Amino acid sequence: MTSAILELRNATKRFGGIPAFEGVNFTLMKGEIHGLLGENGAGKSTLTKVMAGVVTLTEGEMFLEGRKVGPRTPAEALELGIGMVFQETSLVPTMTVAQNLFLGREKRFNRLRGTYIAAQQFLQGLNFHVDPGALVNQLGAAKKQMVEIARAVLNQAKVLIFDEPTATLTPEEKKYFFDLVFGLKERGVSIIFISHALEEALQLADRITILRDGKLVVTDDKAKFDRTRIINHMVGRDLSETLYGAKREVVRKRGRRVLSVQNLRVGAAVKNNSLSIFAGQVTGVFGLVGAGRTETFKVIAGLLKRDFTHGGAIVFDDKPVRYRVPAPAIRDGIAYVTEDRKIEGFFDIMSISDNIYIARLAKFGKAIVSSGEAARIGSDWIKKLRIRAIDQTSKATELSGGNQQKLVIAKSFVQEPELIIFDEPTRGVDVGAIAEIHEVIGRIADEGRAVVVISSYLPEIMAISDRILVARQGKIVEEFSAKEATDSAIMYAAVH
Amino acid sequence: MALFKALTDKLLGHGEASIAVPILDGSFKPNTLLDQADVVGTFESPSDLATDGKELFLADGNAVRRLSGGAWRDFLTAEGPMTALACFDGGIAMAIDGKEVRIAGGRFDGKRWSAVNGVPFVSINAIASDGQRLYISDGSLTNAVDNWAHDLMNHGCTGRVIVLDPNTGSARILTNGLRYAFGAMPIGGKVWISETWRHRIRSVGQGDEMVLDHLPAYPGRMAPASDGGVWLCLFARRTQLVEFVLREAVFRRRMMKEIEPEHWIAPAFRSGDSGREPVQAGGIRSMGVLKPWAPPRSYGLVVRIDANGIPVYSIHSRVGAENHGIVAVAELGTDLFVLAKGPRRVLKLSIGNIEKEVAE
Repeated sequence: MTSAILELRNATKRFGGIPAFEGVNFTLMKGEIHGLLGENGAGKSTLTKVMAGVVTLTEGEMFLEGRKVGPRTPAEALELGIGMVFQETSLVPTMTVAQNLFLGREKRFNRLRGTYIAAQQFLQGLNFHVDPGALVNQLGAAKKQMVEIARAVLNQAKVLIFDEPTATLTPEEKKYFFDLVFGLKERGVSIIFISHALEEALQLADRITILRDGKLVVTDDKAKFDRTRIINHMVGRDLSETLYGAKREVVRKRGRRVLSVQNLRVGAAVKNNSLSIFAGQVTGVFGLVGAGRTETFKVIAGLLKRDFTHGGAIVFDDKPVRYRVPAPAIRDGIAYVTEDRKIEGFFDIMSISDNIYIARLAKFGKAIVSSGEAARIGSDWIKKLRIRAIDQTSKATELSGGNQQKLVIAKSFVQEPELIIFDEPTRGVDVGAIAEIHEVIGRIADEGRAVVVISSYLPEIMAISDRILVARQGKIVEEFSAKEATDSAIMYAAVH
Repeated sequence: MALFKALTDKLLGHGEASIAVPILDGSFKPNTLLDQADVVGTFESPSDLATDGKELFLADGNAVRRLSGGAWRDFLTAEGPMTALACFDGGIAMAIDGKEVRIAGGRFDGKRWSAVNGVPFVSINAIASDGQRLYISDGSLTNAVDNWAHDLMNHGCTGRVIVLDPNTGSARILTNGLRYAFGAMPIGGKVWISETWRHRIRSVGQGDEMVLDHLPAYPGRMAPASDGGVWLCLFARRTQLVEFVLREAVFRRRMMKEIEPEHWIAPAFRSGDSGREPVQAGGIRSMGVLKPWAPPRSYGLVVRIDANGIPVYSIHSRVGAENHGIVAVAELGTDLFVLAKGPRRVLKLSIGNIEKEVAE
């Protein structure tokens, strides 16, 4: 660990003018394990994607072993010796391990037997106990990850990047994975890994870098960190507070309990989760990736099914409910504003008014559809939510991110829900629209409806919530009133 | 069809067979206020509290005691243990051994009732008054007051609420067929009723409606709060383990036949006395601290409910503490008196302090 193998100097990446990270100076030493930490949206994944050639830098330079490089594709990065193992593996599930290992490197006259023998020898050389003839879709998460790692090593990667490598692993598999990483380090491979689990970073890494709001806050030896220092660096605020506003000081009065989730289970994502939601309040749900927040509320809205046996109970308006599809949930008064508005939020080739009208029809139905009524409703909602568009006939695709989000909110609002769930309501929204969307959310709660906001941005949660629930590993682990909540306390609950 | 659904529900854990309990959050968010309360007396066999707005009365075994000038004094005695108490028209209304309601003192001194429609009282466990009439809850027709856990384990559904009119001496059933009745409170022309094994508060009178359903603990007696609404005692928390046992008929029958009642897998007023008790040994102890999410067998909980039936806040004695099994509460002046049946204590809390601590 004497010299730098990979270096980023003054690196900046912007998406549509909004920086994912900027002015980052990052150094990876030869043969080190480097932990990359930060909240969701801090810029960790984008930074590593730059190294792996998935995205390119807007400004700044990248050096590999002192040589200036700029991979524009993952293939180029791999040729340079930089491999990335994604959270969702990129293996072909219907092919065998050996076929996946040599995918794209097949000889002109490929012999399957030869491929298996080569794969067997190579995997044995790495001391990876995986059957090269096994189909990838029959492997567990850890074995899939081993194949990914093997593929990167086969490509003679000098730098290996892991994005949340342990998120899907069992404790035994994690231990095995750690051994693999230490083994790779001994072979001289330099490793960067992103993790939300602080214990793992403190256990695995030689050095740790913390990003916050797209800026590199600190890089230091592991020995100089403890959990408190890491959390303080992760949540210390400057930019975000000006963006999202300060913490709520006046809390709305809690109304009746609208929703009670009892011992909900959804596969490995939600484990015995229980929570209540009250009318007249904004309940913020915070958690790191994989905390099971979205899955929980998708089950409530009928977008996902809970475990078939002993999946727990959901009581909405004092009635036990079990929605298998969204339509009955909408009829009962539950609206879900998706985090992925471009895919699930609206019909992009339809006009604003048609989008809103179709949402209204989904709940109330109508024998005769009236284009005049659609136009009037569209026009009303454009005014109410201040959607910036030429008129109600503008297509959804013609709107900016913030106005598209307002359209999705209008679609939910027109269904007159009793409970409205916002999943990442300001993700990808321009700065100016954030405050407006927050104002709309606040207005809904002021009207006495129950509002849930799922957000990975702590400042956003602090700015709009009357009550904050913190999720970790598939269940709610802590509840705060907005008055008592602090950044550190919430983050502590989310990671411990 | 219903039988088939019941069978599939049991197999799959759906519907009524779902072993799920609500969480303590929102208004029920745990705190340690009951553990910080002042102890104003420890007694042999306390069972209920009552107040006339000036003084506090306690039913303790065969005696009624009065808190006067900071000291407890004997007020009256009866020939049997008292199971419920209320101040009424200058006197005291009391239930003796759960089988008789009697008024001592005041205009109606000596009035007594022991049956309604020819059916004798069995387990009178709460008395309340609207100034004109008495509202009593007869928990079960098959189990005496002290055998409430037997009623739960037998899925008892014979509870009833009875209205007594001292002016005419009449008694009439307000509602019956309740899955254990433990508390009735007249509020604004209606009567709120604790239906304990169904974990709910219902309102009867001018139309039957739900006040609170799906409670996370077993509701008991209520007492009026000075600014409207009530204080509700919840004497034990619901747990998935007990809910599971309640759905396992064969296991439950064997447990009741072969094991001493104090060691049943059932809610209790106190716990931690014996290593043979269930659950506590399975509590999660980490870094020397019994974690609050350890499944509790006993728990202390009082909830303040406003006149619209919305829980406002709650005060707790959590797992690992002692002030469990809250069965009675009385507001007197600026203080709240609480009877913790587990440690047999009467506790005192300042309402101002409670509201300061739990204010959002």
